[in-house]
Amino acid sequence: MNHTASTATRSSPCANGSAARRWLAPLAWLLLLTYACWGMPWLEPLFRLVEPDSRDVIYARADFFLLLGRHMLVVGVAALLAIGIGVAAAIAVTRPAGRDFLPMVSQLASMGQTFPPVAVLALAVPVLGFGTLPVIVALLLYGLLPIVRNTLAGLEGIDGGVAEAARGMGMTGGQRLLRVELPLAAPIILAGIRTSVTINIATAAIGSTVGASNLGDPIISGIVNGNIAYVLQGALLIGLLALSVDSLFARLQPASPQ
Amino acid sequence: MIELMQVSKRFGDALAVDDVSLNIARGELCVLIGTSGCGKSTTLRMINRLIEHSAGEIHLEGQPVREFREEVLRRRIGYAIQSTGLFPHWTVARNIGLVPGLLKWPRARIRERVEELMALLGLEVAEFADKYPSQLSGGQAQRVGVARALAADPDILLMDEPFGALDPITRESLQDELIRLQARLNKTIVFVTHDMDEALRLADRLVVMNQGRIIQQGHPLELLRRPADGFVESLLGGEDRGLKEAALLPVSQRMVALDDAPPDEQQVAQHATLREALSIMLWRHTERLTVVDEAGRPVGQLYLAQLVGINGEASGRGHDRHHRAAG
Repeated sequence: MNHTASTATRSSPCANGSAARRWLAPLAWLLLLTYACWGMPWLEPLFRLVEPDSRDVIYARADFFLLLGRHMLVVGVAALLAIGIGVAAAIAVTRPAGRDFLPMVSQLASMGQTFPPVAVLALAVPVLGFGTLPVIVALLLYGLLPIVRNTLAGLEGIDGGVAEAARGMGMTGGQRLLRVELPLAAPIILAGIRTSVTINIATAAIGSTVGASNLGDPIISGIVNGNIAYVLQGALLIGLLALSVDSLFARLQPASPQ
Repeated sequence: MIELMQVSKRFGDALAVDDVSLNIARGELCVLIGTSGCGKSTTLRMINRLIEHSAGEIHLEGQPVREFREEVLRRRIGYAIQSTGLFPHWTVARNIGLVPGLLKWPRARIRERVEELMALLGLEVAEFADKYPSQLSGGQAQRVGVARALAADPDILLMDEPFGALDPITRESLQDELIRLQARLNKTIVFVTHDMDEALRLADRLVVMNQGRIIQQGHPLELLRRPADGFVESLLGGEDRGLKEAALLPVSQRMVALDDAPPDEQQVAQHATLREALSIMLWRHTERLTVVDEAGRPVGQLYLAQLVGINGEASGRGHDRHHRAAG
């Protein structure tokens, strides 16, 4: 873990020359995503191949940009909540006062992921009603585990000598957390956030079943109407979004510990 | 300066430190030695409260350590450990400036102090200031660790096997460095080691611990000549004790004035130890060496008979560290 951190730190000072290059992959994916949202009708001949008999082959009930925006909003809100709750919980249970709760929290987080999001939706709808809210709850629970687990691993993995020196030099608990523990754990925490967000971009599609409109709409509608072309369009856009966000994280990661 | 009064530390049922009393004077280099698990590290870490003592009292300049806020206490005490504990995401300069930064020194003063310390420990500022710990060798990292411990100019320095992980040559050069630093800075140092040669070389006072208790303490020569029991004796090297004692005494203590005999070709420096002189005699098959000063001028001579103390010099006193400080 220290190895990761130190190589990452070292690579950052000399990386400025290739800064533009580092952003090339995420930019390319984002461009492709925008292009796909905007130019989907042009791909009609292609989708006609898989659906020769349907009247419509391009999903037209809502603008793809609108669906993309709603999708990102739901995933974004869920991710922010999951990061806030997950990182805070992991920090709390690695402090001396909260250490007793460590097994409980890591178990809760694992349970959150074993619980299928569809089941969470089914349980949440009667309480929270249809719409975006139950989706956010489901994604939050589903995305919590990678964040909690990685934050715990990052904080617990800090070299014993470093932790002891930080204490022995007279740093307060807060100073140790902010200046030593979090910066050293950052690459691992970020990797957890990356996993969580990427998974949830795909998972969010099920939100369409409870009336939260997003990129899952074409998929659900395609399944209901037996239109494979719709399904493909939804899947294509979700895939491109996931790749864009993932490559964005990939670029963020090495520079983070400073 | 540091006073431990009937201090004990209990971990569950195990008594790690058992009724230890120790009084360390200002400017003293006190070495705690013993086998692993004897409580020496625990004793050290109770001084800066990384471990809280269970019974007894620890005073710092007459004030109980518990009356300080933990952080305030630790910022007043330098701390160096075997694994260095340098922050891998900070540069060398930032690592050294850690405690001054915590004490909110102005930026310019921290930079000045960091450069002063780097010079003191033989670390070229231009070369090392911006390096990261992973780019340093073991010896360099430990120098940075010692510099960091000294940064806020603490009166007290706690060192927990700081040179334990280094190769013998680097270790010896850092020991020399510490002796040199100590002669110049006159800190109160508590040093933990399990290496008897290191302990004998560095210590003003040697404290032998076993199973959480202090077995014997005193000047290294005192312990060598009158070990309290078999354990201390075996720790001191048993039959090797003669050589260990010789390594603590300077040639100048046993040499005699030059006589009419022509100076011998085989020479030894007057600040060299008797052990080195004996080695030269063994190697050169000679019973007589000419003692020379720094400039190479003959100042006396040393016969084997005097070296081994046949002329009643065997119990030669002299707690003289001068030869070591100068070397």
